[in-house]
Amino acid sequence: MFSRVARRKFYNTVFVGFCVLATVVAIGALTLILWSLLHKGLAGVDANLFLADTKSSCQGDSSCAPGGLRNAFIGSAMMLAIAMFIALAVGILAGTWLSEFGGETPYGHAIRFLNDVLLSAPSILIGVAVWELLVVPFHGYSAMAGAVALAFLAAPVVTRTTEDILAMQSSALREAGSALGTPQWIVVRKIVWKAAGGGLLTGGLLAFARISGETAPLLFTSLGNNLFSLDPFAPIASLPKVIYDNALSPYDDLVQIAWAGALVIAVVVLAINILGRILAREPKRS
Amino acid sequence: MTIETTQTPEPARMSRRIPMGAAFNPIFRWVCASAATLLLASLGWVMVSLFIGGLPAFRKFGFSFITNVTWNPVTEVYGGAGPIVGTLITAALSLAFALPVAIGIAVFLVEFCPRRIARPIAVVVELLAGIPSIVYGMWGLFVFAPFFAKYVQLPLMLSIPPDSWLGKFTQGVPNGANIFTASVILAIMILPYMAAVFRELFLTVPPHLRESSFALGATPLETITKVVMPFVSRGSIGVIMLGLGRALGETMAVTFVIGNTHAFPKSLFDSGSTIASTIANEFAEATGAMHTSALLALGFVLFVITFTVLAIARGLLSSQRYQ
Amino acid sequence: MTDIAPETYESFMTEPPADSVMLRTRALDFFYGKFQALHGVNLPVAKNAVTALIGPSGCGKSTLLRALNRIYSLYPGQRAAGEILLDGEDVLNSKVDLANLRSRVGMVFQKPTPFPMSIYDNVAFGVRLYEGLPKNKMHERVENALRKAALWDEVKDKLHTSGLGLSGGQQQRLCVARGIAVEPEVLLLDEPASALDPISTAKLEDTIIELKRDYTIVIVTHNLQQAARVADHTGFMFLGRMIEFGPTQDLFINPKAKRTADYVGGRFG
Repeated sequence: MFSRVARRKFYNTVFVGFCVLATVVAIGALTLILWSLLHKGLAGVDANLFLADTKSSCQGDSSCAPGGLRNAFIGSAMMLAIAMFIALAVGILAGTWLSEFGGETPYGHAIRFLNDVLLSAPSILIGVAVWELLVVPFHGYSAMAGAVALAFLAAPVVTRTTEDILAMQSSALREAGSALGTPQWIVVRKIVWKAAGGGLLTGGLLAFARISGETAPLLFTSLGNNLFSLDPFAPIASLPKVIYDNALSPYDDLVQIAWAGALVIAVVVLAINILGRILAREPKRS
Repeated sequence: MTIETTQTPEPARMSRRIPMGAAFNPIFRWVCASAATLLLASLGWVMVSLFIGGLPAFRKFGFSFITNVTWNPVTEVYGGAGPIVGTLITAALSLAFALPVAIGIAVFLVEFCPRRIARPIAVVVELLAGIPSIVYGMWGLFVFAPFFAKYVQLPLMLSIPPDSWLGKFTQGVPNGANIFTASVILAIMILPYMAAVFRELFLTVPPHLRESSFALGATPLETITKVVMPFVSRGSIGVIMLGLGRALGETMAVTFVIGNTHAFPKSLFDSGSTIASTIANEFAEATGAMHTSALLALGFVLFVITFTVLAIARGLLSSQRYQ
Repeated sequence: MTDIAPETYESFMTEPPADSVMLRTRALDFFYGKFQALHGVNLPVAKNAVTALIGPSGCGKSTLLRALNRIYSLYPGQRAAGEILLDGEDVLNSKVDLANLRSRVGMVFQKPTPFPMSIYDNVAFGVRLYEGLPKNKMHERVENALRKAALWDEVKDKLHTSGLGLSGGQQQRLCVARGIAVEPEVLLLDEPASALDPISTAKLEDTIIELKRDYTIVIVTHNLQQAARVADHTGFMFLGRMIEFGPTQDLFINPKAKRTADYVGGRFG
């Protein structure tokens, strides 16, 4: 009954509608999640969150001082700092090697491939592997172990972005350096790295955004600690782990703290993502 | 204006000068190569440590480790079929949910969206990818699961006879903690990433290819299905594999809402477990060496599955590099 | 143009006086992997003069230029056979220190490539590799180089701003200044004006003519008029062979090879 043209048009309209719907779903999901975060978490964000350490539930006792997340913030900050230091060092050097030295050899191809696998590997397996490496032999959980696990996750990101941005620099630039007789490592250091400039930083930002919310690798490496600690060789609290524990506890006040913590993490990560995006779009000086 | 010529005198010019710092070149090269090798060693360590750790369990249970559902720390009998199947089901389901939506978003952004808002919307979608998994987990546990239990499970339970086909498919405790909700959360997690990569894939289609299709009078739907998708078919499989790889390994988002039981899920709304969630739940308090070994063995299985999937993905997407 | 048999690839060479030749190639072959890009090329380069290499695309003129400072050594799979003699010593010898060679034989590329640093640092870059000069001497060197490159007046007030902020023509002269700051003997220019507008091109050509008083210059150009304007000697290449070489005027007005006549007459290109 329907003409062929009309039928094709109909299918197309349905299709377009579906595509619009899909986009709406995605945007809707993001909005929902952010709204839930704000709605449930904002109430818990106060000065106390940042000043008090974690503690067990007050269980409704109004005379007991509510817990906060101070030690978790500090613990996370410390582990993230160590992890990023390791990841940037290893990642930038490895990315440089892939781009400037051995990237086209069979070994280079293998490294690149395995780097990509490590990039998407399940983070819990990384946590377990680091447990076997740094917890078992030393008979104890530690912040260092947690930091190393996070570094395992961040380094491949930095490697990939470093290699990509260095490869984008024109070969004429390298040749101009070599034409003056510059040794290759100085060409890399003083010319290519400099030319890449901010791009190397963006890779670090992306890696940081990736690992700042990671929980699984910390479960068996840094464990957790209710006390304020700056000791890298002892267990330490971390924000995602505390959120995890609190969320699964039966106490409302702890759940509230979990939501507040989740809100803080989400805000920080989104801010870094946006920052990274802005920096990446900085136009090259002509 | 005479400029004083600064040519040096004739002989021994070849050995005139060597740049300062030339000697460091091999050292720098070696340092960079070591860093690269460190990455290789890291991955190697993950594989080796899981294998060696899981060896006792593999040796004791043999192949039945993968097929046996019994997971009993008391009698020390461990069979990982429950988590393995759970992993595969949730990953497949989440992919089934996410794939059409991801393609839909990508198509929308490339074909139909007005230029001005395409970029902001793309950014919004990518922000969704940046949300940490623990946030997804919490949202799943406190918002989505109760909603699902109240508005989907309960009405279905009340209106469908339990013996019917649909009834069998949807039976389960209406607390929202089941395979289905876990898959939905997973789908939302992998969705933005897949949409972004599909969008990049679509942008690689040469404009004249699309234009010739439209010039023949094809509708956008027909152009997409008959011209664009075949063009990017290889890359598409790669994207699917990448999404699958991520879904297989995700821990936090799943642990909160999957229910964490070792038995075979009997229906979509039944609780289950994945390898990642099992390790997350049980590792810290594993009762004894065999329990730990069984968990590590599970981890090795997951590693092998993920590695294979990622290797295939990489092979299919090898010419393009994606985040 | 494959109708002509190889035996007729005769080379018509009118060399400059032997004692003025400070750089020459002898029977130079060059290979990109299995592909042979240069066949038995003889190139005599006279001191303190401008030698131009002309020819259609793909004739090997850039390949020849890039062999002279062995910049091709950056890429595995590219190799040269034969001799390249700089003051009598063979540059293709594997024992030659490449950095040293390149400090004596400088190069300016087709696309201006200022380093991501200040103008001052750009020019001083090469010098700092080799010499630890005190500040005033370094400043002198930089100023000299910029003057010779006819850039000093335009940048003397902004020496510490980034080299990337200059116009295309200025950037290219910056690259020339950078190259001559290390006081090379030879300067190789690979189509240096092809990315520049006519006014910048004219300025650059004037600079080249000035520079030959202190340096020996080899320039690759696809612009015949440019070769006629700046070069003392010209070599015409075709399919990897040096077909004709001689004083520029002779080559253009009275070419000996038919193919040269066809090329400079515009009958192909």
